[in-house]
Amino acid sequence: MATDTLKSTPGAGGATRGLRRLLLENGALTALIVLVIAMSALSGDFLTTDNLLNVGVQAAVTAVLAFGVTFVIVSAGIDLSVGSVAALSATVLAWSATQHGVPVVIAVLLAVATGIAAGLVNGFLIAYGKLPPFIATLAMLSVARGLSLVISEGSPIPFPDSVSHLGDTLGGWLPVPVLVMIVMGLIAAFVLGRTYIGRSMYAIGGNEEAARLSGLRVKKQKLAIYALSGVFAAVAGIVLASRLSSAQPQAADGYELDAIAAVVIGGASLAGGTGKASGTLIGALILAVLRNGLNLLNVSAFWQQVVIGVVIALAVLFDTLRRKAGATPVAAGTGAGGGRGKQAGTYALAAVVTVAIVGATSFLHNGSSSSADRKMGLSLSTLNNPFFVQIRAGAQAEAKKRGVDLTVTDAQNDASQQANQLQNFTSSGIGAIIVNPVDSDAASNSVKAADKADIPVIAVDRGVNNAKTDALVASDNVAGGELAAKSIAEKLGGKGKIVILQGQAGTSAARERAQGFANGLKAFPGIQVVAQQPADFDRTKGLDVMSNLLQAHPDVQGVIAANDEMALGAIKALGSKAGKSVSVVGFDGTPDGLKAVEGGSLYASVAQQPTQLGRIAVDNALQALDGEKVQQTVKVPVKVVTKENVAGFSG
Amino acid sequence: MSNPDELLRIEGIRKTFPGVIALDGVDFDLRRGEVHVLLGENGAGKSTLIKMLSGAYTPDAGRILVGGEETRIHGAQDSERLGIATIYQEFNLVPDLTVAENIFLGRQPRRFGMIDRKRMEADAEVLLKRVGVNVSPRARVRELGIARLQMVEIAKALSLDARVLIMDEPTAVLTSEEVDKLFAIVRTLREDGVGVVFITHHLEEIAALGDRVTVIRDGRSVGQVPAATPEDELVRLMVGRSIEQQYPRERADQGAALLTVEGLTRDGVFHDVSFQVHAGEVVGIAGLVGAGRTEVVRAVFGADPYDKGAVKVAGAALRRHDVGAAMAAGIGLIPEDRKGQGLVLDQSVEENLGLVTMRAATRAGLVDLRGQREAAARIADRLGVRMAGLGQHVRTLSGGNQQKVVIGKWLLADTKVLILDEPTRGIDVGAKVEIYELINDLTAAGAAVLMISSDLPEVLGMSDRVLVMAQGRIAGELSADEATQDSVMALAVSNPTTDLKTGKEAARGH
Repeated sequence: MATDTLKSTPGAGGATRGLRRLLLENGALTALIVLVIAMSALSGDFLTTDNLLNVGVQAAVTAVLAFGVTFVIVSAGIDLSVGSVAALSATVLAWSATQHGVPVVIAVLLAVATGIAAGLVNGFLIAYGKLPPFIATLAMLSVARGLSLVISEGSPIPFPDSVSHLGDTLGGWLPVPVLVMIVMGLIAAFVLGRTYIGRSMYAIGGNEEAARLSGLRVKKQKLAIYALSGVFAAVAGIVLASRLSSAQPQAADGYELDAIAAVVIGGASLAGGTGKASGTLIGALILAVLRNGLNLLNVSAFWQQVVIGVVIALAVLFDTLRRKAGATPVAAGTGAGGGRGKQAGTYALAAVVTVAIVGATSFLHNGSSSSADRKMGLSLSTLNNPFFVQIRAGAQAEAKKRGVDLTVTDAQNDASQQANQLQNFTSSGIGAIIVNPVDSDAASNSVKAADKADIPVIAVDRGVNNAKTDALVASDNVAGGELAAKSIAEKLGGKGKIVILQGQAGTSAARERAQGFANGLKAFPGIQVVAQQPADFDRTKGLDVMSNLLQAHPDVQGVIAANDEMALGAIKALGSKAGKSVSVVGFDGTPDGLKAVEGGSLYASVAQQPTQLGRIAVDNALQALDGEKVQQTVKVPVKVVTKENVAGFSG
Repeated sequence: MSNPDELLRIEGIRKTFPGVIALDGVDFDLRRGEVHVLLGENGAGKSTLIKMLSGAYTPDAGRILVGGEETRIHGAQDSERLGIATIYQEFNLVPDLTVAENIFLGRQPRRFGMIDRKRMEADAEVLLKRVGVNVSPRARVRELGIARLQMVEIAKALSLDARVLIMDEPTAVLTSEEVDKLFAIVRTLREDGVGVVFITHHLEEIAALGDRVTVIRDGRSVGQVPAATPEDELVRLMVGRSIEQQYPRERADQGAALLTVEGLTRDGVFHDVSFQVHAGEVVGIAGLVGAGRTEVVRAVFGADPYDKGAVKVAGAALRRHDVGAAMAAGIGLIPEDRKGQGLVLDQSVEENLGLVTMRAATRAGLVDLRGQREAAARIADRLGVRMAGLGQHVRTLSGGNQQKVVIGKWLLADTKVLILDEPTRGIDVGAKVEIYELINDLTAAGAAVLMISSDLPEVLGMSDRVLVMAQGRIAGELSADEATQDSVMALAVSNPTTDLKTGKEAARGH
């Protein structure tokens, strides 16, 4: 449709008018251009071919997911399950190909079939079961995520090499994910614009009853629409996993919201009946440009989330206001007097938004870099946990002391977001990279790329597999786990019932600590583990899971938690029992944990020294940067902290 | 210049929308205790004018004087303050709240910060009595029929102490009995000194109720005449030409029976409905609202299921509750709710016209967009759809043109049996005649037409045969010669049931 309106403005004068009209008709495109201009003005690293390709790669997964969601939203539905379905499809591919020797071609087909099946179930529940789309796909979100954890048993599975090439570049410069995004975008545009099912989507979304009374088979179409969304989710999952060379059961968590945001920013209405593939692409690019630019600008990880939220709201607001201003093509011809003032208003609004974005980002920009050669990046797996906040604090203190400009990013426990951040570090020509991997396998591709660019990489807390890092600064999780098991067993006198609260399934810390617990408990046959449940390293979940376990095992005498946060949650659940009839052992030695040790409710914590980790990592990175020899692994000692020795201990 | 009786004066109002001049120099005035009829074809600008008064739009030029003082109306609050209340065609009621809550929505009487339900319901009762409607203030609005909804709207307007009451086509959805009742209420209001702006397409209502008439054509006020002006003259003013005949039915040669309905029954809704429609014939279905007419034709079309009976097209029985089968046999349905069921409002004329034929125009999953566009252009031209272009959204078309689009999509599909449910509701005289001529063309080409209408003159004027439904049954059949207003009404209010269904049915009707 859009191409037709463009064709109708021939001539040279028509070209500028056509461009103006294109911008006015598409608020999201204007917002994207404003954003690109603002980012280029603020960061010299932004407007380079390499970085723009990075933006493309980083937008690819969201965009492909969002194309699928566009179908659903245009037909007045919603699909919340795409992120989980993407993870499930990738897991099915890796599981069948790597672990069961299924030929790769068939494994890929299986993955796509998985997406279709999930979509068909959604469609069936919605069309024939009359479930609201929100609920049906919310259920699928949980089911698909659960199944991918079941199949993978919680661990990432290496991706077959032949498929992993999808994450590489073509001819040394064109990233394949960008190519996939473009191809899927063209397919989506074709489906929406030319095919029977595409045109049906608009009719069903616009007025389902009118469509039905005009002979459209609404129920069958809905099945197909959700199945299509499933196919796109499967493709997105394969691209995501091939970028990381690993299928992560926890991958693409929360991506459905990014996808929906991209579709809506692109001008679709959640009420259905409107939306275009081009708009969705622009929406996905806006999100990617924002994340990339904020990384380059070294905006604080916490503020980044605020800025992204504000820009999403502004982009949609801008589009709504523009539409209200009535800048329709007819107006340009007949020249209504009032229209011009409103156009001016639209431009004024655009100017205000630009100034606001530029102002906000430069305000949040953490100081200018004086010595460009001493620039360093730290990519943390999460900042949602005091342990990693302390790593950051240690690193920042050391960096300040040594006069290094340190950029810190937060991957929010998402391996693919971390890959993006590392890519941004690499392409902006930073001096050295410190990485705290979300997942040891998934970080390998990004680290290889940094190695290729001769940038020293230091891993902190967790190692990187299959790639060369200059040093690993870590405390030993397995040894720590053994210590935790030993201390609780000794406290209980070698006999008693305990429960174990595990970390987030699929993370290396959870696996290694669980391994340590198991190793340690082997020496104490009198200790009976009555339950092991994951509580995701989270205090609230620790509280809930412990409360549930207490119902089943009221006579439990000990708790081992894979981190202090969960231990503190468990203490809440235990109430007055904690520290008296039940002993709790935590892990990490965070300030809150140490306070609880002091107070007596937490018997012991296996303390790492996170500020030391951060400090030593920066120190090693500086040595590597200066060309000095650094040790392959730097072990920061772990210690069991109990009430006796807590006084002299600080992280 | 200020007349103490003058409530409202509008001078030289102008309003443009992108690409359209909706109003261009409209003058209008309203006095205390009069019913001033606004007359004009759909798209002439009546709705835009009243939206200026209710604060939905602000004028680009011109003056609005209320009680002799120039004012600007910027929103619903402004118009409420000025004592202007508007009852739109689409009611502004919340279905799941009670009648009393709807009347006092946003202004509920409060006691200690809580809603004083007792007082609210007592006040509502008084208002409802004043409009003479027998409905409990505690009834949910969802359970009320259209006529009662309208009474609730009027009660709401009265609760605002409105001095100016604007009614946008209030009679379009009412049966003639209900119209009489409405008129009685409006006359009482007039005696109380309320000024009423009354929009209608039914010319006979003007003489019955109105005092003065302002005619609007193409966004201009073209004349102000007394209500006693002959209908021909009013039509001439309204359409700018004279219409020879209001119901130009031309009988076609009758062929074999195309549509046969035998003993169609859905328990509790309609019973033992049997009839035939022949090729070249127009069969009208008359009856009160709630008699089950719409339910029967929806079942015939396969949109709803039925319990017993059969539907046959040219002798072949159709599968129950299967729109696809009905369409394949050549049945088309123009639903009564044009916007809710007939059109995808935010799509273009072209897309709406192509909706029915889209499947047929699909090869290997791809829609033949060019073919669809050519077909749409052809049919829009044939129907005389007035639009800026095929790409215009149907939401912005006038009611008559919207209806032409709904009919057009079925014409493209070579429909043999066309079912029209209230085809001219809310459509102006000019467009009505165009639709009647289309019906003539169809029957001349050998199609069969089944037409439901609550507009008795239309049923009488256009049908070759009239079926009258009452309480879910066919109460009788009249030939064109036998059918008169009286004979049809006598059947419509008759009680064709012999069993004890009466109580239940009466509760449904209104």
